[in-house]
Amino acid sequence: MFSIDTFIGHERMSTEDLLLKIEAAVIDGETEFYINASGQHDIGGPLWNKDGKTLHFEVNNAGQRLGSMCLPNTEILAHGSVSADAGWLNSGGIITIRGDAGDTAGHCAAGGKIYIGGRAGTRTGSLMKHDPLYEEPQLWILNGTGSFSFEFMGGGRAVVCGVGEEHSDSILGERPCVGMVGGVVYVRGNVAGYPDDIIEASLDEEDIAFLTEGMPTFLKAVDREELQERLTDWSQWKKLRPLTFEEHQPKKAPDLRSFRRENWFKDGLFADVAVDDGTVINTVNTGLYRLRVPQWENGKYAAPCEFSCPCGIPTQKRLELIREGKLEEAAKLVLEYTPFPASVCGTLCPNLCMKVCTRSTVDESVQIGALGILSAETPVAAPAAETGKNVAVIGGGVAGLSVAWQLRRKGHSVTVYDDGEQVGGKIEQAIPRFRMPHDRLEKELARIESIGVKFVPKTLVDAARFEELQKNNDAVVVAVGGSRNRCFSNWEGIEHLTMGLEYLKALNRGETPRTGKRVVVLGAGDSGMDVAVSAYKLGAESVVAVCRRRPAASAKELAAFRALGGEVRTGFMLSKITPVGVTAEDGTFIPADQVIVSIGEEPVLDFLPKDKDIKTYNDSWLVTNDERQIMPGVFAVGDVIKPGLLTDAIGDGIGTAQAVNQYLNNEPITPIEKKPVIPAERLNKAYFQKCHHCDIPAAADEHNRCISCGTCRDCRMCIESCPEKAISRIDLGDGKWEYVSDASKCIGCGICAAVCPCGVWNLTPNPEPINMYRTYDQKH
Amino acid sequence: METIKVQNVAVSDLPWIIQHDPSKCTLCGSCVAGCTFNAIKPVVIRQSVTISEGVQPNPVQKNEVRTVIKQVASLTDFCRGCGMCERVCPNDAIKPVLNPTPRKDLLSRDAGPIKRGGRTNLNAMHTLDKIVVGRISQMTDPSLDANRHTFDIRAPFGRVLDSKEIPVKVVDGKLKLTKKVPPVRWIYPLIFSDMSIGALSTRAWEAIALATAYLNEKCGLPIRMASGEGGMPVNLLKSDYLKYFFIQIASGHFGWNRIIKAMPYMKTDPAGVLIKIGQGAKPGDGGLLPAAKVAEHVQAIRGVPRATLSSPPNHQGLYSIEESVQKMHLSLNAAFGFRVPVAIKCAASATSVAVYNNLLRDPYKICGGFFLDGIMGGTGAANEISLDHTGHPIVSKIRDCYMAAVAQGKAGQIPLYGGGGIGLTGNAAADAFKLICLGANGVFCGRILIQLLGCIGSENGRCNSCNTGKCPVGIASQDPRLVKRLDVDRGAQKIVDYVLAFDQELKKLMAPIGNSSLPVGRSDALVATDKAIADQLGIQYAC
Repeated sequence: MFSIDTFIGHERMSTEDLLLKIEAAVIDGETEFYINASGQHDIGGPLWNKDGKTLHFEVNNAGQRLGSMCLPNTEILAHGSVSADAGWLNSGGIITIRGDAGDTAGHCAAGGKIYIGGRAGTRTGSLMKHDPLYEEPQLWILNGTGSFSFEFMGGGRAVVCGVGEEHSDSILGERPCVGMVGGVVYVRGNVAGYPDDIIEASLDEEDIAFLTEGMPTFLKAVDREELQERLTDWSQWKKLRPLTFEEHQPKKAPDLRSFRRENWFKDGLFADVAVDDGTVINTVNTGLYRLRVPQWENGKYAAPCEFSCPCGIPTQKRLELIREGKLEEAAKLVLEYTPFPASVCGTLCPNLCMKVCTRSTVDESVQIGALGILSAETPVAAPAAETGKNVAVIGGGVAGLSVAWQLRRKGHSVTVYDDGEQVGGKIEQAIPRFRMPHDRLEKELARIESIGVKFVPKTLVDAARFEELQKNNDAVVVAVGGSRNRCFSNWEGIEHLTMGLEYLKALNRGETPRTGKRVVVLGAGDSGMDVAVSAYKLGAESVVAVCRRRPAASAKELAAFRALGGEVRTGFMLSKITPVGVTAEDGTFIPADQVIVSIGEEPVLDFLPKDKDIKTYNDSWLVTNDERQIMPGVFAVGDVIKPGLLTDAIGDGIGTAQAVNQYLNNEPITPIEKKPVIPAERLNKAYFQKCHHCDIPAAADEHNRCISCGTCRDCRMCIESCPEKAISRIDLGDGKWEYVSDASKCIGCGICAAVCPCGVWNLTPNPEPINMYRTYDQKH
Repeated sequence: METIKVQNVAVSDLPWIIQHDPSKCTLCGSCVAGCTFNAIKPVVIRQSVTISEGVQPNPVQKNEVRTVIKQVASLTDFCRGCGMCERVCPNDAIKPVLNPTPRKDLLSRDAGPIKRGGRTNLNAMHTLDKIVVGRISQMTDPSLDANRHTFDIRAPFGRVLDSKEIPVKVVDGKLKLTKKVPPVRWIYPLIFSDMSIGALSTRAWEAIALATAYLNEKCGLPIRMASGEGGMPVNLLKSDYLKYFFIQIASGHFGWNRIIKAMPYMKTDPAGVLIKIGQGAKPGDGGLLPAAKVAEHVQAIRGVPRATLSSPPNHQGLYSIEESVQKMHLSLNAAFGFRVPVAIKCAASATSVAVYNNLLRDPYKICGGFFLDGIMGGTGAANEISLDHTGHPIVSKIRDCYMAAVAQGKAGQIPLYGGGGIGLTGNAAADAFKLICLGANGVFCGRILIQLLGCIGSENGRCNSCNTGKCPVGIASQDPRLVKRLDVDRGAQKIVDYVLAFDQELKKLMAPIGNSSLPVGRSDALVATDKAIADQLGIQYAC
């Protein structure tokens, strides 16, 4: 028997000294210990007898961690209460405490048995665990525990008998079993505040067997055998155990979708103001939900050539017909716009169309002018039916003939009166033959006659005849153009001038008008150039053309003049003409023995009735109303309204002819509708390889170079490029077709618009409305 | 030869550059079909090359035209970097890349000041990231277990009386109130901030509302959602769920006609009323709803025709703090029989403490909460100059207000809520925790909610096009073609998941400092890694 009193007099033995003495005794084979302690820690473990004999400790007044790390074959009996952590890390010892235990009793015990004959403190039983290789630890407590007991417990059995605590709300204190993952706590009495993952259950047979077996031993150990009967009414008992891992899997909360279905607003929160079935669409969509849709806008826009041509000749369509091999149709198409494709388009016109040709931004313009020559001899059939309406056209220039051509094609009877030897106006009378073979004009005039237009040349229309024409016709068209050279009255010496128009007319009549050696031509427009070049041809040694600002003549005519040695003086503000030359306002003098004026012509309108309220501009030009008339039934067209190019006059004739036709048909008179020009950025020139000048083909083969602005060239790029194969070509018969995009396939990517060389496909925001929102619907 | 002029807008002027790799592209068209901003388009390009084969010069020209995807060089249809193209591309052939040297902002003022949504892109302040929870001493303050201990995460909403002012007497051994006291509700310290019907699509608003209801009903988190100033769905007003929502009134008073009309049919009181005076993203400026977003239902609920709706910068008729208390607080308390707390939301300002003091001293005890919105708050549309150059940081302002209340012994009497950039750098729980330690009772957040719904906007200027009505994810748009892209359930689920994680994360910060209830004002738990921040906030500096 090792017996020690740790207090000798006033000297208290330190824990270290005590434990070393105990250890030495154990090594010496001692197995029986009586220790009258004074709060020393860690009494009772970890110790073992080398022969495996049981060590017995009887301890008074133990300190903290009584029986800590206690091994099997150690039995400890503590009289009275002990301090904290009794049985800490107990690995097999039997530790009996007759009184209360402090906090954290049985903390981390993984074996053995701890019997507490009173209460146990806070966090009792925390982190107890069970190594399956050994017997599970037991912790028996007669009364109850402090709060936070059995925290993080992982194994073993705890028995809390609740003696004397029958009225407590919780014999395990507040928040017991937090974080408990294993083991079981048997309780006799109320428990509260344990977490959701702890199950309170009644005892099963195995539990009862365990308790039945263990209870007498416990009560005997703590010397309270009188409680045996009271504590073995198993109906008073229950157990707390944690959910097993499997049970512990968090219960899946209902997902949002089912919550919405079951608990939320039928048809949605916004059902009163929004129609929404909740369908979630893809980021990329077809049909209604496409962000954008393609439109096949064939011919919606004018090609630049068409737009800039005063006659609106859609050359891209002519070339499309050629592309299709329909040469004849192509040649005919232009005749719907002008009776002079060869003389004007092909020869005399400065070809505004070619200046804006998209192809010119690649290499060189399509040869649109030359294309006109192809139609020089294209026959046109006379109208199928006569309307019975008669129209008199006064003036056989291009304006009058354009009107006559258009009206005759509609079946009206048209008679053209002209005071010249032949109809043809300026082209016939004034434009030098060296600019155009005369037969070209004659063929085109013959074509006009061939469809039934009546020419009445050598007939001057005076006031009386005008009245007669008005009476005998359903409509009269004044197309007398400008027949008198303009001069400015503030010029000094007008009497010395030669009139350019007369000069040219004489030339075309086969005469040889007087021509000086040193000639000054006033005016540098195309007719000025005609005069100037003619003067050279008639023997002038030097010709100077003067103008106020820039020369108005086309580059071609200017070049021809300059090639002959001609000089153009700009900024020449004429003030005086003398037999020896011209003087400008600034005193500049140009010697000349002939001065020919060619600054344009003005109409001679003496045949018009004086009593009617006919409006004029500058007392020279007629001003028509919105319906192209100067008086009821009398229309005006061409240079008689405003000087311009031949093509301007022809284009004006188209509009006037429409007005006359509507007038004859008693229809509202409307202006010619003009398509907007296609925006350049819609065209794709990338396909078109820059062509060397030498490789530019004949006009009839220009369809390959034509971009076909705004008009489908049927190239199938869109069909072949569409990623969804949504585009089809529909043959409409009669050589017509259209391309359609299937909304059920199209995603609105715009590749069709991107690849279309002609700018026909256009991508727009999806115009189809989705009526999702409303003000209120009381049904919801 | 190209005909480009030097002053033409080029792609390199734009904030985002589209990188397209034709070698990977299948030309499926998805990217262009999905782009809401018209920022990319297919074009054909020509590649011409003259090659020579053989042993002497033998030029052969090859001309190949192919389709590629090209970025549009436009100051109106410019790439916002939203990345929808990248998302829909099956081959990773296209993506937007941030341009380090854009000129777009410089050049695009021809239509007046630049407007956009999002948050400030200048002055991005990450004050809260310079604060860490530094007092975690397990030796002195035992930590709790965040997972296994229980926590009481609730914040007051409503006017809390001084304990000496509570009118109680003992009747039959029990305390009884002798007269009415202001209503106080205990709510979750994370409030879904006010984004209006109009600013948000119907689906986006519904998703947040749905998440709110779910978190309350299924998760036990008393989350509250503020309606925004565009009214409330009548269905919601007439339902039991109204108890989870704050009805907002702002300077435009939009939507109140239908709210008032619904009053006789309300089954329950709303959770509160929030008077919006100002907004942190554009203080001193009213709401701005571009006409593109004023769809028919918005027109109806708000009672206005299609137009760009600018609410006044201030409440008409309020010219002082006293008036705001007397008129707005009183009327809105009265509207619901003094049963519903009424709070006020202001943009944080150099004068916020004065306002808070004034509210604290209000003898009628009628203000139930003070919401301060900081400069890092988001918005659907604002002038960029307002976003970038006006506003006030929130962190020190919350602290100042709290300390002012502490100095008067009135801490906690008017609950303080801070917002504006909560979750800016990704962790709303950390931001909330730190603001709470500095004195806030809770926080409110908006931008992060729409980000959870699917908003791809970022602080680097990605997207931020809420003002255009072309929101690629259908959140800030009323275009049905875009709105229907948004999945309400998935969006709501993301919010729910985030909030549940937020709750866990909040515990992960509360547990180490040993608080099982919100550590309001426990600034001792924080240390700043920036000396100036430490000094200003009165917390420890550590490095």
